Amino acid sequence: MQIELKNLHYSYPSGGEVLKGINLVIGGTEPVAIIGQNGAGKTTAVKHFNGILRPTSGEVLINGENIETRSTAQWSKKVGYVFQNPDDQLFLESVRKEFEFGPRQIKMPEKEIKRRNEWVAELVGMSEKLDMHPFDLTPSEKKFCTIGAVLMMDPDVLIFDEPTCGQDVQGNHRLLSIIKALKERGKLCITISHDMKFVVSSFRRIIVMCGGEVILDGRAEEVFAQTEILKKSFVAPPPVTKVAQGAGLKKTVFTTEAFMEALEDERKV
Amino acid sequence: MATISNTFIPKNTVIERLNPMTKIFAIFSLGLGTLISPGPRLGLAVIAGLFGAAWLAGILKDFAKIMFGFGIPVTAMLLFIQGCYHPGNVTFIADLGFAKVGLEGVRYALKIISTLLVFLGTFYIMNKTTYPGKLVAALTESGMPPKAGYLVLASLNVVPQMQRRMSVIREAQEARGVETGGGITARIKAYIPLLGPVIMSSLTDAQERGMTLETRGFGIAGVKPTAYVEVCKTRTDRAVNIFLTAFFIAVVSAAVLTKLDFI
Repeated sequence: MQIELKNLHYSYPSGGEVLKGINLVIGGTEPVAIIGQNGAGKTTAVKHFNGILRPTSGEVLINGENIETRSTAQWSKKVGYVFQNPDDQLFLESVRKEFEFGPRQIKMPEKEIKRRNEWVAELVGMSEKLDMHPFDLTPSEKKFCTIGAVLMMDPDVLIFDEPTCGQDVQGNHRLLSIIKALKERGKLCITISHDMKFVVSSFRRIIVMCGGEVILDGRAEEVFAQTEILKKSFVAPPPVTKVAQGAGLKKTVFTTEAFMEALEDERKV
Repeated sequence: MATISNTFIPKNTVIERLNPMTKIFAIFSLGLGTLISPGPRLGLAVIAGLFGAAWLAGILKDFAKIMFGFGIPVTAMLLFIQGCYHPGNVTFIADLGFAKVGLEGVRYALKIISTLLVFLGTFYIMNKTTYPGKLVAALTESGMPPKAGYLVLASLNVVPQMQRRMSVIREAQEARGVETGGGITARIKAYIPLLGPVIMSSLTDAQERGMTLETRGFGIAGVKPTAYVEVCKTRTDRAVNIFLTAFFIAVVSAAVLTKLDFI
């Protein structure tokens, strides 16, 4: 699965260019994180991945096929999108029905739906809550319910818009395990997040956006080593990384263990 | 994100600078004046005047769209029904074959239409050129209880708010495989998943807003609330008010005089 953006420009009808020429290729199964301050164009960019927004100019290609050739509903089989606010998505009277809604829309066989239901419910921690009304769930559970509803449709690419927003440690762990499980199944995860600790813990590739442009794109270590450029986008590396950089360590580290290791190494020299 | 917060777009025109109360007074003075006046002529003149006002306010295109969009179908319908079947029809001006068109009915239809259009037009201009906050400040200043003022503000905001939510929710449902385009049945089917979240979220929104207002002491009795938005009356306001009052008195007296003549 490959998503390719070619000189993508986008302006909202009310005026103002939000995306100013984005060139990007995202492929394989390696999870990708998109970071940047509010208004950088992250959500606007990913909304092009399943055709919710259509480019003002430039091209979006999914596996080489132009996004304009199909409707969003048709793309939803291939590209799943979990919205930021679960209340925009949930409307049925039980979690189970929410899970079954998407697959039925894309005409997935009932047998398959049943089979997936078990796996997805377990993965997002909803097995015990399948018969609850989504409005009775906690905000964090609602989020997992929407994630489950999109996973049910078995898309090849999954887009998570701020899944860490409002999550506690447990929620973050569950998210990480979901992303890992999806990678194992050969799915591509693209995640927008403001939580740098979360980002560095499971994303090898990081894309930094600022003012409607991609200013950095690369492996986590490379991206967080560019302190000057990062400052421009108001992205702060995780605390331990900042400490390491402040201490003058050459290696970019994300965990305490890595920090200690790097420190030992430099002492030896 | 879309930046349109309500139907009001600041343009800083003469009409926009008027005191909101003046504009509300205009709705009633012009609207009731047209209603009271015996024939449709006055209403048509007022409508012509409203087009001028819309031009001054810089919203002529939208205004014309609304007036013709509503006016033409309603005129066609009322002219047909009243023209052919008005009980007071005695003078017939045309013969359609299956029914005769009466002058009285046509006059009656034109009068109803002109009154409707005057109310619609004045309200539209008021709504399009008045910042809702300013309107509510003006209303509370002239004696409306703040709670009622809030109700006005909330109801003015609710439609654009719902529209915005609706578009977000539509996107979310499209991403779940719901086709929102296509034929009429597909569209109706597609709207069912949208309605639930829209209604539920507006209810929770309303509840949250209520709680926020409470925590800010909105319900405290016995204090004099002040408004952040300043509303002032200018010389233009006074002139327009005098004109509107004179207009209304003139119409009423003319109506009374014509009635008396008949007796």
